Amino acid sequence: MAAIVQVDRLSKNFGRVRALHEISFSVAEGEVFGFLGPNGAGKTTTIRILLGLLNGDGGTAKIGGFDCWTEHAKAARLFGATLEQPALYGFLSGRDNLRLFARLLGPVDEAQITELLGLVGMTERGDDKVKRYSMGMRQRLALAQGMLGKPRLLILDEPTNGLDPNGIHGLRILLRKLATEQGLTIFFSSHLLSEVEELCDRVVVLHRGEVKASGPLSEVVNVKGFNYRIDVSDVDKAMEIVRTIEGATVESGTIKDSITVSSQTDLARIINHALVAAGIGVDQLVRTEKGLEDVYIELTGVAPGSPLSAPPPPPPPSPPVAVRR
Amino acid sequence: MFIRLVRNELEKTWRSRWIVFAVMAGLFVLIAGGLYIFYVATQHRWSPPPAVAWQTTLRDEIAANQSSIAQLQQIKQQQGGSAGGPFRGGFSIDSVIARDQQAILDDQYLLDNNIAPLQSFSITLAALFGLGGIVMFLLLRVFGWLASEQIAGERSDRTIAILLSRPMSRDQLLLAKAVASFLISLAVVVVTFLIVYAMLAFIEGSLGPFTAQVAIAVDGSKPVGSGNLVVMSIPLFVLMCLGASMLGVLCVQGMALLISVVTGRWAAIGITLAVLFGAALVSAIVSGIITLISGNPNTAHFLNYLFVNVLVPVSAIAPVFGNAPTEAGTGMKEFGSQLATLAVWTVAFFAAAWLLFHRKQEAG
Repeated sequence: MAAIVQVDRLSKNFGRVRALHEISFSVAEGEVFGFLGPNGAGKTTTIRILLGLLNGDGGTAKIGGFDCWTEHAKAARLFGATLEQPALYGFLSGRDNLRLFARLLGPVDEAQITELLGLVGMTERGDDKVKRYSMGMRQRLALAQGMLGKPRLLILDEPTNGLDPNGIHGLRILLRKLATEQGLTIFFSSHLLSEVEELCDRVVVLHRGEVKASGPLSEVVNVKGFNYRIDVSDVDKAMEIVRTIEGATVESGTIKDSITVSSQTDLARIINHALVAAGIGVDQLVRTEKGLEDVYIELTGVAPGSPLSAPPPPPPPSPPVAVRR
Repeated sequence: MFIRLVRNELEKTWRSRWIVFAVMAGLFVLIAGGLYIFYVATQHRWSPPPAVAWQTTLRDEIAANQSSIAQLQQIKQQQGGSAGGPFRGGFSIDSVIARDQQAILDDQYLLDNNIAPLQSFSITLAALFGLGGIVMFLLLRVFGWLASEQIAGERSDRTIAILLSRPMSRDQLLLAKAVASFLISLAVVVVTFLIVYAMLAFIEGSLGPFTAQVAIAVDGSKPVGSGNLVVMSIPLFVLMCLGASMLGVLCVQGMALLISVVTGRWAAIGITLAVLFGAALVSAIVSGIITLISGNPNTAHFLNYLFVNVLVPVSAIAPVFGNAPTEAGTGMKEFGSQLATLAVWTVAFFAAAWLLFHRKQEAG
């Protein structure tokens, strides 16, 4: 399928600070594209270049074949966007905000505004002033703003910021629906790995202004194996025992009285048996499959939840196998 | 598309800043109410006074000047040898007599040629005071404040990113904001003029004629005469004053927009008001010092090339009441030169704002 977004050797510096260094990627029409990276990786700078707010220092950024800076007005006909912090007029109602933004695209279509308010679950609060909205409501209205004028491409910069778990779940369902039913291309920037893992067909991982990995999710997430968190009565002895099991790598856990083990094949029962046989009390053994989160840490060296990263992501989507005794 | 953009800007300004307009309207009501109470208390009547024809006023003025000259000559005779000696204020009896005589000649010239002086009609007075002086001085500061928020406010609210990511050029957005600011200020200025006109019509006891001719001195410091007068109809005079005032407004808005394209909301408002109030104050102090040192008020005239000193060009004709020489730096000649200065500054401000906005990187 033809690429709707083409970024080629794009660079951007702010004074001496290198924000982007020759990054290249493309987004095919109709795909849900994940743009990943810890805070400060250059995600927002890239998006601002795509939106025509910044001009790159080198390389090109095109949408629908139009240069995002020199042919901005043509490129902008193809996309809608939401920003990291929802940008809305607090003194206007949600509906009036949409009317105002709709006027930037053409004659106001009241039916579409009502439909969009319904789509993002804001019908009841649509006539309230935006300054009385919660962060989550602002995010939802910003999403409706991005969908005004039926764009071919929806660029979302950290759209789950401020949403509660229900809101995130609802957004995920909505975006999937838009992609499958309307064939909308979605450019989804996030540091929430689980979101990207759930939603995106293809990802680019950005770190310190450089592309660290890109491609179909199945290729990038080419890490097979399992992680285990085991709560034990004696950490030192348990680590000693697990080290003797072939294929298991062990380290002391981040939680008190627990160890963390990883392995290529499923060793849950073997580990459990070995620990019990050695007289170590096992309070809990939680097994998870390795996922994008592990790739992310490997590529960027930044663990989610570390000071360099954003707040920790919600619980992993795959249900853990818990063995309780 | 452009009309929709302007409509958006008008709606945003009105919905976010209606309180400013409400306060201005409230002030007008207070001032008008206060003046009316003063009028009732001093004149002991509720209704307007009877109107007086301008010819009558001029004849009364001639009579008053003649009586003043007679008195001054009497004083001169009583003083004997020290005829025409200087008063404490630095001017002599002779110079006062000469000025009064010139005033009589000027008044007679206007009467003979059926040309009304500017203060004759409530509508021309309203043009001078409603579109000039302290009223415009204050309105210009309000318009500067509102214009300074136009882009800087969007930047502070982060909505600039949405506006600039939409399918329109930055030229269109800047122009829409300039046009909206101008239209709002035009409406406020026209309403202000009408309110001042209504108040003056009450005080004068008449709405006055709309088709009569009025005269303005070319050089306010010289005697009125056929060579030193510009005669025009009342509608033309009012339109001229309105146009000149709006050029001042445009100049302030150009400056405010220039500041607005590079800063955030509070910086833009602060810098704009600091320039408008501060530069005028500094210039007044500098002008005072120069005049004091040189002893000639014309020496500081070069300060009139500074835009803050020519923002209200109508003030250059306001002191010219047609029938007596006034201070230097007044009259149609000065008015024209102030308009030219304003035009140059206005073009420069808008060009600079356009250039900067085109290159501005919105890093967020």
